[in-house]
Amino acid sequence: MRLINMQREGVPVTQAKDVARDPTLGRNFSIQTDVVIVGSGAGGSTVAYELAKAGKRVLILESGRYWPSAEFTESLGDTLSTVYRDQAAQANTTTDVLFLEGHCVGGSTVIGACVMQRPPDEIFQRWSDEFGLKALAPRSLDRFFLKTQEHLNIGLNEAHEINTTAHKVIQGCEKMGYSWRPVTRNVKNCALTGHCLAGCPSDRKMSALVTHLPWATAHGARIFSDTEVTRVLMRGGRATGVEAIIRDPDTGTLVSNVRVDAQVVVVAAGAIHSPLLLQRSQVPDRSGQLGKNMAIQPFTQVLGTFKEELMGFQGALVGVEVDQFLRSDGFTFYSALAEPEQLMAVGEQEAGDEHINFMKSFKHMAGLNAFAIDKGQGSVTWEGDHLTGRKVIRWSPSREDFARTAQAASIAARIMFSAGAERVWLPSFEKLHADSVFELDEKMARVSYGINGIYSYRMNSFTPHGTCRMGLDSADSVVSSDGEVHGVSGLYVADASIFPTPVSSTPQWTVHVLAQYVSERILARDSSHFVS
Amino acid sequence: MTQKNDFPPAMLGGLEPLSRRSLLRLTAVSGVALTTGCARMFGRKEAPDALQYVNMTEAEIRVVTKFTRAVLPTARHGLPDCIDEIPTIKNVDTMVGNMAPTQRDLLALGLWVYEYRPMASFKFSRFSTLDDERAHAYVVAMQEGAFFERGLTTTLKALVTLNYWRDSRTWDALDYWGPVTERWGVRRLGNAPLPLS
Repeated sequence: MRLINMQREGVPVTQAKDVARDPTLGRNFSIQTDVVIVGSGAGGSTVAYELAKAGKRVLILESGRYWPSAEFTESLGDTLSTVYRDQAAQANTTTDVLFLEGHCVGGSTVIGACVMQRPPDEIFQRWSDEFGLKALAPRSLDRFFLKTQEHLNIGLNEAHEINTTAHKVIQGCEKMGYSWRPVTRNVKNCALTGHCLAGCPSDRKMSALVTHLPWATAHGARIFSDTEVTRVLMRGGRATGVEAIIRDPDTGTLVSNVRVDAQVVVVAAGAIHSPLLLQRSQVPDRSGQLGKNMAIQPFTQVLGTFKEELMGFQGALVGVEVDQFLRSDGFTFYSALAEPEQLMAVGEQEAGDEHINFMKSFKHMAGLNAFAIDKGQGSVTWEGDHLTGRKVIRWSPSREDFARTAQAASIAARIMFSAGAERVWLPSFEKLHADSVFELDEKMARVSYGINGIYSYRMNSFTPHGTCRMGLDSADSVVSSDGEVHGVSGLYVADASIFPTPVSSTPQWTVHVLAQYVSERILARDSSHFVS
Repeated sequence: MTQKNDFPPAMLGGLEPLSRRSLLRLTAVSGVALTTGCARMFGRKEAPDALQYVNMTEAEIRVVTKFTRAVLPTARHGLPDCIDEIPTIKNVDTMVGNMAPTQRDLLALGLWVYEYRPMASFKFSRFSTLDDERAHAYVVAMQEGAFFERGLTTTLKALVTLNYWRDSRTWDALDYWGPVTERWGVRRLGNAPLPLS
């Protein structure tokens, strides 16, 4: 019987300052391990746990900083500029769509809103039928979904987790006859602070920081933060490890170059950075699909101002979802009103006295966030050499996306008016609000598609996916049905980038599931991957 | 309280719609500015040590300061002053210092455009030299202008207002409760127990 020790709080992480202090490491050093995992979010942490538990030597490399939960301030402004990638300003080439992601140990699981949604069976049926992925057919992944549910304490919100914002949404839905339900979240004894987007200082959000990462380290996995993997090393069609740079997160100065020799490389840096790494590494891309097919689930926020004081920011951040349109139109709506700073990223908030008055009405507001399925026509590209190049994110709404966003915003606005809102703020780059449902259509008609939909509706993304899509045929997909990159033995991808098609559900639960599935496939080929 | 606004915003701002030719001209000038290095054209140089701001040029600071005054008339609302009490510009400067090079160049271009866009309409006055009322009218007009003017204005507003409202001294006016975990004495749960499966 093996005795496993796990620390009660925090995660043992080797940070840049630790490397700088260690005279035995120096400017260049190398590490040998069985498996190196790039990224410590939902996918990477899950694979790390599964493989470490199976007895493999696992090393996780995370480019972001380590923030113990004790250091979370519940100030979203501070968090945006420190914990989010690029100070929450990671954007497309036209800078009108923000891609918000956690850049820290634990990745986006740390700053997510805890919403866990299982995609409808139709999605998995399509993956099975159109892409030949029989292992992902409906019900085939049930055991992984159930295991994740148990591990991450995923459950329906209870009555006390439905705040005033959510109650307004319920009221509106009841009047409109729309179906709604409490949201499913991965949280344990939620403290109802409403600060999910700034990280949970009391460890109630079941992020990777308090689940898979400490569990993986208890089984012997090691974690390096501040470590940017620059490329995957390959020889003779096999992945042999990675090269990385460790930088001081405060100054950006180089601390060390590190080479990791590994028998298996798992890339789990998310749908934007996984394909970028593979492009930098010049992996074979026979299909030409690497970095393409990016779906972003564009989300918009509609705000309602009510006569009464709601204090809608108090309580659990996300209370209910409107699921009426999920199957028919690909929309999901979530009730949520976060910190005041969040308002700056979701709409046009006036200027001068009007801006101040808008902000002073914060306590009268409720928010409804519309997530829409898109066509997956975006892309990410690494331009330049692997050390000095830059990422380029391309996504602009198609006319169809534009129309769908308008429809989603219109539905959200009607729900708000039905709940009694006196004014509804529409998610646009121009000053746009409606004071009654009767002027809504006329107001919304003012937003035109213009040139490629640029600066039309204010859309952002928390959940890009599909940039290394999975499929049987190497002519039209990037990774195999095992999650292994076509043409490179021992190089796996385990994050939202392997989704074969766009999905309308929030992806985190599915990422955990696919990461378990990929882990199982790696272990199933133990003898061909690992020489021990 | 609302600001007096008897004229259409675009007229008040003195911001006539861009003709195709002037749009092309603006695009060309902007392109040159970007490709030859906005920093040089805009006079970016190392700030003297005595200066409070180290990441933006003096010219950029002037634009951001005027913009902040135009967007956040805090004195009229009994709010902490947006520059003298809340370090909005300092916060922006810090954020600018951490921007990726591409973003930094885009911001420089955006501020340059903002500064010089009203030249013809304002008899060659730059944005930073307008009085606060006219500067506000200009911002409103830009918000209702062409798509790139809307985008630029929204981006600058987000940058400035975020760096004002993030300060806890502004929250009382919103009746916003701010951080609560420590105040409530919420206990940290620590790591979840190791699963059995």
